[in-house]
Amino acid sequence: MPRRSSFVAETAAVFLKDWRTELRTRYALNAVALFAVTTLVVVSLGLGPLGAVGGDRASILPVLLWLILLFAASAGLPRSFAHEEETHTATALRLAARPVAVFCGKLLYSLTLILAIEALVAPLFAAMLQLPVESPGRLVAALAVGGYGLAAASTLVAAIVAQARGKGALFAVLAFPVLIPVLLLAMAATRAAVGGGAEDGALLQALLYDASVTVGGLMLFPPIWNP
Amino acid sequence: MAVPDASRSHSSSPLTSSLAWGLWLWVAVTIWAAFYYAPLAAGFIGESSRILFFHVPMAWTSFVAFIAAGVWSLRYLFGGRRTEHDRAATAAVELGMVFCILATVTGALWARIMWGAYWNWDPRQISITLALLFYAAYLVLRGAVEDPDARARLSAAYAALGLIVAPFLFFVLPRITFSLHPESVINAQGKVEMESRMLQVLLSGSAAFTAFFFWLHNLRCRIAALAERDAAEKEA
Amino acid sequence: MRRSFGRLQVLDGVSARVETGGVLLVRGQNGSGKSTLLRCLAGLLRPQAGTIEHREEGRALDAEERRLAIGYVAPDLALYEDLTVQENLEFFARLRGLPRERAAEILERIALPPHRPTGALSSGMRQRLRWGWALLHRPAVLLLDEPFQNLDRDGEALARTLLAEHLRDGLAVVATPVPLDFADLAHAETLELRR
Repeated sequence: MPRRSSFVAETAAVFLKDWRTELRTRYALNAVALFAVTTLVVVSLGLGPLGAVGGDRASILPVLLWLILLFAASAGLPRSFAHEEETHTATALRLAARPVAVFCGKLLYSLTLILAIEALVAPLFAAMLQLPVESPGRLVAALAVGGYGLAAASTLVAAIVAQARGKGALFAVLAFPVLIPVLLLAMAATRAAVGGGAEDGALLQALLYDASVTVGGLMLFPPIWNP
Repeated sequence: MAVPDASRSHSSSPLTSSLAWGLWLWVAVTIWAAFYYAPLAAGFIGESSRILFFHVPMAWTSFVAFIAAGVWSLRYLFGGRRTEHDRAATAAVELGMVFCILATVTGALWARIMWGAYWNWDPRQISITLALLFYAAYLVLRGAVEDPDARARLSAAYAALGLIVAPFLFFVLPRITFSLHPESVINAQGKVEMESRMLQVLLSGSAAFTAFFFWLHNLRCRIAALAERDAAEKEA
Repeated sequence: MRRSFGRLQVLDGVSARVETGGVLLVRGQNGSGKSTLLRCLAGLLRPQAGTIEHREEGRALDAEERRLAIGYVAPDLALYEDLTVQENLEFFARLRGLPRERAAEILERIALPPHRPTGALSSGMRQRLRWGWALLHRPAVLLLDEPFQNLDRDGEALARTLLAEHLRDGLAVVATPVPLDFADLAHAETLELRR
């Protein structure tokens, strides 16, 4: 019997491989960064010299921030599975790695990609739109929890969509109903972090959603991945 | 629960016939009770509170349908990939969508009466829209996969994901921020706010509609099974 | 075993048995289901009826164990174009829990330039890479779908040697029009598939 590798080693291998290929082609990073920055500029111009008035700003701007993150994620994340299926490397991966390791490796990849986008967009956002941040700690928490939700749900849906036709549009159709709840919660938490109000447990509920999606993903990925 | 199978004969045994008649009677009585037996609720305009006896059961039934779809999907995935489970899941989603659309429409009508606008984007309305989008996406996914085995497997995974998303949409999301919706029937202390007659009609209505769903589901599965068998015979 | 794609019945009533040291030769015209059969054996497709059993020391292996025991060569199997040959083999070695040296070992065997990007390989070299990938983890079962495709004379000789070595304590299922003649082949069976 051939020796088995550890789950952690397999997950790490998948994660590193995805980043290595990504850094070499920079396809997703470019698309996502370009998209995020362009949207940011357009939004800034739109809100213009008038800007958003005082108290309004705390309500509107978190919404816009998360919309930018949502669309950026939709531009960059589905590719990790779609590319494997298109280039037929998925077959090799199916035979060589255990399914849960593939899921976790790709999830970590998506998560780090999103965190990288957030690290780029959030400060730019705060600067360009003069967003005053009352509680940076809570903002980071909101970005982390919301970002994880985006990553986990997108990874699972991307795995489904990669085996169907109509990749780009289909991803949006399937993913948005799953992503919007966590986005709404993240928006509420961000609003509280920025404007300093009470957030009514939004962060906790987002965390709960994240955990549920993760558990669901771990259970559902093997039958999605393998026939 | 047993999955309807067209190979077994279902036509008119005395038991199923009387059950079906009983169901129709129950629904009829509930509808009558909604108009004549239950009193009007305080704080509602005119007779508009009666819409509650339809809107709430329909929303509840769609939730039951979506959960059923998720359960059948899990049975498909982990219980032997049997086509009848896939068929049952799809039928449940289709019927769930119907009830969900009806619930949305009755909700909007009532919103118009109470607050002057059909759509306010309050958390309940957002939630039900997202539920509609999610299960519409299920149907779109089915159309986007050619291989029947892959189609069943992938859509089952999505419907199973719904077991997390649907409860969140129906129960968690609406409570998050201030809602225009009247306070839930059972409030935080667990006390029942509604007058008991109203509660009776409401509960009876919910149960009746749920039973109605399962009856319709049974029919839908049998029709689908027969259609499949028909198509297979034509090929041979 | 039976397998169809929608309304297209590809395999029907297929049955066979292979033992260690043996080769099952799968023959048939184009479209008779050879690739489908091999994909089912590899676990990439589910048959709609029938069973695939892999027994080791009298015990039937479960799906995960079967995955670990299989090596697969097929025309539509590809490795990562953006990685070099060595990086590819090292990645899969790591996935399989093998030391990096194993990747270097196999690389030498198949005689490929280690730092060439996989996307820049000729079709013959790609085929050698497929062989190397399949044998990386010393599988008990080799499933070969057109394994000699695109190979030049040296490549074909190498492949035959690798197969012969493998058959010393493994078994193989091969779909190929190329004649296989091993004088010391104890068990060789042919399975004819018809469209």
